[in-house]
Amino acid sequence: MDFLTILQQLGSGMVKTGGIFVWTLVLSLPLGLLISFGRMSKNKLIAVIFKFYISIMRGTPLMLQLLVVYFGPYYLFGINISGSYRFIAIIIGFVFNYAAYFAEIYRSGIESMPIGQYEAAKILGYSKAQTFMKIILPQVIKRILPSITNEVITLVKDTSLAFSLAYMEMFTIAKQIAAAQTTMMPFVIAAVFYYVFNLLVAVAMERIEKSLGYYK
Amino acid sequence: MMKKTLALLLCGVMSMALLAGCGNDGAPASNTNDGNEASDEANVSDGEEGEVQASGERTTFTVGFDAEYPPYGYMDDNGEYTGFDLELAQAVCELEGWELIKTPIDWDSKDMELNSGSIDCIWNGFTMNGREDAYTWSDPYCDNSQVIVVAEGSGITTLADLAGKTVGVQAASAALDVLSDEEQQKDLADTFGALQQFPDYNSAFTELMAGSLDAIAIDIGVANYQIESRGEGYVILTETLNSEQYGIGFKLGNEELRDIVNADIKKLTEDGTVAELAEKYGISELICLE
Repeated sequence: MDFLTILQQLGSGMVKTGGIFVWTLVLSLPLGLLISFGRMSKNKLIAVIFKFYISIMRGTPLMLQLLVVYFGPYYLFGINISGSYRFIAIIIGFVFNYAAYFAEIYRSGIESMPIGQYEAAKILGYSKAQTFMKIILPQVIKRILPSITNEVITLVKDTSLAFSLAYMEMFTIAKQIAAAQTTMMPFVIAAVFYYVFNLLVAVAMERIEKSLGYYK
Repeated sequence: MMKKTLALLLCGVMSMALLAGCGNDGAPASNTNDGNEASDEANVSDGEEGEVQASGERTTFTVGFDAEYPPYGYMDDNGEYTGFDLELAQAVCELEGWELIKTPIDWDSKDMELNSGSIDCIWNGFTMNGREDAYTWSDPYCDNSQVIVVAEGSGITTLADLAGKTVGVQAASAALDVLSDEEQQKDLADTFGALQQFPDYNSAFTELMAGSLDAIAIDIGVANYQIESRGEGYVILTETLNSEQYGIGFKLGNEELRDIVNADIKKLTEDGTVAELAEKYGISELICLE
């Protein structure tokens, strides 16, 4: 297999890796915010439920969660699964896992806001929702951006875990080529692919951070 | 300015998602990984056709294989999945008018894939011996033996020399079964310094080359392929660990599909297709079909 074909194969895998990445971010960022609300709920029961959820999601390996999501329907409920469920299972697994991490990041940001701001907003006649959307959230986003960047970069590398469900993302393909060609070359290329992807992510996040620093 | 950048970023992100969604449409039609890619929602219906409805005819045949297992199933120079087993499966599909869906699986999850119905069979240098009761088997089509590969000049020439050495083996493989079965080579394995499990043989061979591994327990067909493509420097011990046979594994109780495939392979043996393929992949002397 010549160098160009390897690049082409890995490139097609990269598109799939990108697909996992994008779907996970688009769905888990909002879901994380909802979970953080649950986690901070004044209702003790709800708070405990979400705390438990986060603890499970953070306390077990993502790879195991992926296997459970994909094979669970059959082993738990006897439903036959088809190949078309593979990608959906991967997205469900990633989204629920990452939402748990994002929830805690949101919580760290929201709880760091001084109570005085809520009091001031109340006196000025802001409703609770208005206070959150107009005053608290914009500040929270600014504060948590570095932690989010961390998670996002981890996500890029975690996409390789999709191999456990035999999804043909980039790293799975790299391993297959390596096996067929009995060479380590594809891994080197895979490393470059990941690094470049993460470099782009880091640069993009830095720009967003800068543009949000409008008071500095 | 900021808004524009964000919008651009989002656009890029969305198009990436779209691309991933229907990546298959852009790929050449000869790309044989359809089964997997159909999963990406663009052709969801494809995957579902594979299930035989009570009244409906089977139109697809989903073969699960380890894409890191040349010469039986692997990725060829053009990036397509091929190998002796896959070409034979293709020939069976042509006889039946099925569409072959090649689904690379993670070998450790093969039972889960088969039982849950996401693949129709495991067809990939799949050793029958020791697993007789776990699957509904086709007729054996290939003789195989588990052998030991060592680096040239390592001083290891017999199985007894392996005492105290580090031996590598693929996880969940037949070679591992042989080495952990008390009626077979468990006693030998107990003399090893360590029995190291690898996800695939490529990394095992790299470790052998690097010196962190002394020997590899492996199927002879795979060993030949590895040594041929890696060149000098390896020796297969003349003493083998066992001899065994390859078959196609169907879900327990799926005799109906098994019988169809069996009959087709018989036809393909008679018309010479099997011999031709075996020649092409260099395993002629291993074929046990008559």
